[in-house]
Amino acid sequence: MRDRRSQATIAAVAFVLGLLVVVQLHTQTGGSALQALSTPDLTTLVANLNDQNDRLRNEIGALQDQLDELRANRATGATSVDEIAADLAKIRAWTGLDPVSGRGVTISVTGPIEPSAVADLLNELRNAGAEAIAIEDLRVVARTTVTGTAGSLDVDGYRLPDPFEIRVIGRPDTLVGSLTRAGGVIAQLSAMDPGATLDVTPSDQPMLLPATKRDLVPAHGHPRL
Amino acid sequence: MSFVTARIRAIPSWQITLGLALLALGFLIAAQLAAEGPRIRYTTQERSPLVEAALGQQNQQQDLKTRIVALRASIQQIEEQDTGAAARTKDLNARLEEARIAAGLIQLEGTGIVLKLEDSTQPVPPDGNAADYLVTAADLRTAVTELWQAGAEAIAINGERLTTTSAIIDIGGSVLVNVAYLAGPFEITAIGPPDLFDRLSASPGFAEFVRTRRGSFGIGISWAEPGTVAVPAFAGTINLRESHAVVSPSDAPAAPAPSGSAP
Repeated sequence: MRDRRSQATIAAVAFVLGLLVVVQLHTQTGGSALQALSTPDLTTLVANLNDQNDRLRNEIGALQDQLDELRANRATGATSVDEIAADLAKIRAWTGLDPVSGRGVTISVTGPIEPSAVADLLNELRNAGAEAIAIEDLRVVARTTVTGTAGSLDVDGYRLPDPFEIRVIGRPDTLVGSLTRAGGVIAQLSAMDPGATLDVTPSDQPMLLPATKRDLVPAHGHPRL
Repeated sequence: MSFVTARIRAIPSWQITLGLALLALGFLIAAQLAAEGPRIRYTTQERSPLVEAALGQQNQQQDLKTRIVALRASIQQIEEQDTGAAARTKDLNARLEEARIAAGLIQLEGTGIVLKLEDSTQPVPPDGNAADYLVTAADLRTAVTELWQAGAEAIAINGERLTTTSAIIDIGGSVLVNVAYLAGPFEITAIGPPDLFDRLSASPGFAEFVRTRRGSFGIGISWAEPGTVAVPAFAGTINLRESHAVVSPSDAPAAPAPSGSAP
């Protein structure tokens, strides 16, 4: 009996000790890859996530409206042909299957430039909120790549002239601001490719960007049900 | 009283020793905790709320993306059930399905490969740059470019589908793809022709990428060819604020045949 009691006491003490050790370890490590980031990096990340999530919420609102309209049509026995056609036009325009028009910026590139520099520029344009991009008369799509060597660039198999022009649809002030800011992509590219000149011009007049000539429907993938 | 004394005497000495040792240990731990108090409090105050906020936002983002995919599926379902002007609706829906697949709004599966990139485990030499030993957005862009050139038709990085508006950038130690902050290891899933891997490994650009990043810095680059690979649907925003759709000259059924591989 007495043995049991002392064993129980030791067990209780051991339990409390274990708990303390775990609490201590937990306080010190506390989790994920996020913990490795510095405070300024984390602050940036939280702010950006907040913005991105707001955009997703707007998209949800728009999709919910679209769905409500379709349901209302069905409830009243009306057809939704117009809504379906509008949905089709939007998706085709966004993905590059149809031409689009709108204001934005033009970037003219003169002199030899590395293919990776043009790819970096496209990446930065997408990040800055570009809605549609064309290099000369080639619409940039998800699978567009820039190859070749400086002075002899290929975009999706087409040779680019020198100089060439990149036309971008999006808010002109936002695009110009993010391209030309100090330490921005234009500054970086000018430093890396001193032989090339990049001129950014805002365009308030609508530009017409062509549709892609590529077939974007995968031949080797099918919808997963 | 004598009963208590007798009882104390009856306790084996090893138990008393152990009890005292445990008491001392507990005291030491308490002292240690008290001594470390200010540092822990500093980190929990300055850092954990931020980490908590980031985790909270990431969880919210996951929910939002799930809702977007579900809403798009509901819209597609109800559009397909529309029976008004039957022939035109049927044609529109067929084109819409094709456009959604082309745009990356539908989850796909098919032949392909999974390419995995991991941070180096090599120690950074004193004169080395630590960033060279981590997988960067530039590494992911190089790998993705090589995959597109090898004939990939649909690509996702850690579940983020690449679309016409997807950027891949470094932000504060993590990589932003679409709206998601991704941490390594990075799995790039690509659907393409059955010989996609042979085409990729035949590319001088890919060989150079492996040689410099794996050979010089120990970046982990590995690949697998499962029977089928799946790439999820894009769960982000379709933003056309400044752009106006210009419908193709003929609003007739799609001109390009859906078969045949891209150039």
